[in-house]
Amino acid sequence: MPLKREQGWYKDAIIYQIHVRSFYDSNGDGIGDFNGLAQKLDYVQELGANAIWLMPFFPSPLRDDGYDIAGYKSVHPNYGTLEDFKTFLSSAHDRGIRVIIEMVANHTSDEHPWFRESRSSQDNPKRDWYVWSDTDTKYAGTRIIFVDTEKSNWAWDPISKSYYWHRFFSHQPDLNYDNPAVREEMWNVMKFWLDLGIDGFRLDAVPYLIEREGTSCENLPETHEVIRELRKKIDEQFPGAMLLAEANQWPADLRPYFGNGDEFHMAFHFPLMPRMFMGLRLEDRKPITEILQQTPEIPAACQWCLFLRNHDELTLEMVTDVERDYMYDIYAKDKTMRLNLGIRRRLAPLLDNDRRRIELMNGMLMSLPGTPIIYYGDEIGMGDNIYLGDRNGVRTPMQWSGGWNGGFSAADPESLYSPPILNPVYGCQAVNVLSQKRTAHSLLSWMKHIIGIRRSSSVFGSGSIEFLYPANHRVLAYVRQLAKETVLVVNNLSSAAQAVELDLRRYKGNILIEMFGRNIFPRIGDLPYLLTMGPYQFYWFRLRRI
Amino acid sequence: MSGLVGHIRGDSNPRWEVELAEETLLTDDFLRQLINVGEVDILIGLSTHNNAKTIEPVIRAVQSGILKCFPRDRAVIINADGGSQDGTPELVIGASIDDVRSLSKVYALRTLHSISTQYARSPDLGTALRTILAAADLLRAKACVVVSPDSTTIQPDQLQLLVRPVYNDNFDLVLPIYRRQKFEGVLMRNLLYPMTRAIYGYRVLEPYASEFAISGRLATDFLTSESWNNDWGRIGPEICLTIAAITGKYRVCQSYLGTKAQPHRSATDLVAAMRRTAGALFSSMDSSFPLWSTITGSQPVPILGSPTELALEPVRVNRKRLLEMFAAGVSQLEPVFESILSASTLSELQKIAKLEVGEFDYPADVWARTVFEFAASYHKSVISRDHIVQALVPLYRGRTLTFLLENRDRSEEDIEKSVESLCDEFERLKPYLLEGWADRK
Repeated sequence: MPLKREQGWYKDAIIYQIHVRSFYDSNGDGIGDFNGLAQKLDYVQELGANAIWLMPFFPSPLRDDGYDIAGYKSVHPNYGTLEDFKTFLSSAHDRGIRVIIEMVANHTSDEHPWFRESRSSQDNPKRDWYVWSDTDTKYAGTRIIFVDTEKSNWAWDPISKSYYWHRFFSHQPDLNYDNPAVREEMWNVMKFWLDLGIDGFRLDAVPYLIEREGTSCENLPETHEVIRELRKKIDEQFPGAMLLAEANQWPADLRPYFGNGDEFHMAFHFPLMPRMFMGLRLEDRKPITEILQQTPEIPAACQWCLFLRNHDELTLEMVTDVERDYMYDIYAKDKTMRLNLGIRRRLAPLLDNDRRRIELMNGMLMSLPGTPIIYYGDEIGMGDNIYLGDRNGVRTPMQWSGGWNGGFSAADPESLYSPPILNPVYGCQAVNVLSQKRTAHSLLSWMKHIIGIRRSSSVFGSGSIEFLYPANHRVLAYVRQLAKETVLVVNNLSSAAQAVELDLRRYKGNILIEMFGRNIFPRIGDLPYLLTMGPYQFYWFRLRRI
Repeated sequence: MSGLVGHIRGDSNPRWEVELAEETLLTDDFLRQLINVGEVDILIGLSTHNNAKTIEPVIRAVQSGILKCFPRDRAVIINADGGSQDGTPELVIGASIDDVRSLSKVYALRTLHSISTQYARSPDLGTALRTILAAADLLRAKACVVVSPDSTTIQPDQLQLLVRPVYNDNFDLVLPIYRRQKFEGVLMRNLLYPMTRAIYGYRVLEPYASEFAISGRLATDFLTSESWNNDWGRIGPEICLTIAAITGKYRVCQSYLGTKAQPHRSATDLVAAMRRTAGALFSSMDSSFPLWSTITGSQPVPILGSPTELALEPVRVNRKRLLEMFAAGVSQLEPVFESILSASTLSELQKIAKLEVGEFDYPADVWARTVFEFAASYHKSVISRDHIVQALVPLYRGRTLTFLLENRDRSEEDIEKSVESLCDEFERLKPYLLEGWADRK
């Protein structure tokens, strides 16, 4: 039974990001599938997530892990059938879990029938569905995104003897959104899935939909027109469905994607994520407060999406050169860990498997303004395999138990879509769901706890934020407020114990109630409020006037 | 706390005594600020007193230097103020790093703290430096750089030239070498350098430096030094630090910092400068006699970097006035000089004092003997030690006149040769000093 699409549901969501292929294999073929995912929905529910974001599961040659789509209205046979998807969707909704799917709108696979037709001749009716040129010199001001693999945004097509435009891999030709037929067909694709009951789309590579000479071909006004057109149709026909923008841009460039509340409902806050890692390692709140100061206000109905890690590299596009060099030196000394302008590692290895740092980062993820996304496996501290190509090292099988293939699949280990993590630190025998479920102090148990606290109050999802600037720069403190509810968050970014004095005079008379243990702290008076904090410790206090 | 210090002074562990005394050096407010700063890599210390006219560009240069050269390092600017009435501390605290960022187009990864503490109501260089070193010790700074608050020619890169040798090459003390207009730095070139070199056997060109860098190790060790317990350690701590470093077998080097403009000094400033420098130097010789008395000759101290082109206008000097002050001093202070100088040296000075400007000459050997006799008299306290140091001032003016006359038409290189020749004279005459030192009269 579909969940009612309430307006603004995404603001209080905890999103769990899953790749079907990696989660659970129900038929023993070595590849995760929808039936397997449906079987594991209880786990997602117990974790406390109330939304799932699925990475692409459509027919695809899988040269870019499904982001090269060869058919938009069906399911890749590796993962099951459309009926399996419907069953999964229904099961998720039965548990109150919403489902967000990928809409890779910017490009298709070069094996998509549209592109095959388009390249077949210059007179083909679908010729204008893609961006063709006789030369490779147009749009010269456009940067190359996959700098490690691509030399140009144009690729030569020997069949139709001309160049086609691609912002990502050369096997991913960009669709031509100047063509109304393309826009209409993409809406039909979205409508297809919305009719099935999905709750929202993550729109991949949004800034690149339109190209114009003399520009960077990013964030163009015409791109916003396309988005407004889609949003209008959604609001009219599927109210409550959500659009999430993947636009790796600076906050000021991202702001227009919310429009006047008539474009995206949510957008990833890409620049914040690397700065959280930076602030932690520098033991200085500056990178975090600075980027949030630069983050403009967004319409009331809109929301930022926050994440620590995802299926891609830890992107360093939205940082300065000084910051990028620092991040590489600190988090990716081994050059194998680097990919494009980023670092292809999971959360736990990035943080040296330091439980205190993992908790602190998740604490900030859950308490800063926005909707948090947890990447599958990070809730148990899974590791990565930097020796697998591209970003596959962070897309290894979910580790359910210490047994055969980590409980992921009954197949022969050699037939798995990817080798599981085997090392003694992060391997399935050391890190798995089953053992962590049995331990009250495991990372998984702790994650359930913090998610529960986060979901206990709308202040985190919808409240305002005001930063306090204590003289101790290693402490990041802010007040979240929604109506009469006020929460004080204090994070010690340092590896050493710290004393911090907070100016809380405007909350004089309130007592502090620590939200994890529900202990009472002294009443706020006229003097600076002194807290002593252990290494990487953080507090969430509910303020109450009693 | 002072009562506690007094009580513990009888304890057999002197280290405790010093540590507790240090605690009283830092006010609660300053300590609170240090807690907020936390551990740092670089501490930049300033000792100010009514420096409002010059402090802002100095702070900006320091901030630029940190952002440009040490963006990843934890740094703090600490101002020890001796009771400024012109708003100097407020200017230090209020200097925004954002201004520097937009001007220099540099990016700061970290928070850069600027804090200020008033250690006393009147300036006391020793307490100021001690406050800075105590902060460096508490914050576990890897390098502590002291910058002059009236250094109008300071450049952001100078910070790097001072800090890198500590960071990269494990030097404990990095002293500056400046490119000066040829008639500046006369006290350094005619007295402090030759004397320090002859006594301690190291060729330190700027033994009394207002800008230098020290390692955390030396900062901590010097903090517990005995120097703070005597007057000269408090008045001339910089030269005491240099001497402590070279005699303590720390790794010392010199770094070219570029051009240095001398702030305008009045005649009374020279007496104070002589107290801070020569006075402290003479004082240091008392306790370190067993060490320096065995040293002959001198060895070079590593020099890093390369000299820059001189960009300063030459200064004008009133030679006639110098001669008058020298002659008047020799005449008026004759009774004092009779206690300090040998009869032969005094006689020579009296002859020199009768010369006209055109033929004036205070030769290197006479000057070296004069200084050595002052040092020996200081050691023996033939009269008040402060009077001895003050009495050296008019004679120094005579030597200055000779320096100006000799070098009027010489190139920079030739002047350096002349200074080296003077140093050789000091080294050659060191046995004369030892004789005078041992003489019971």
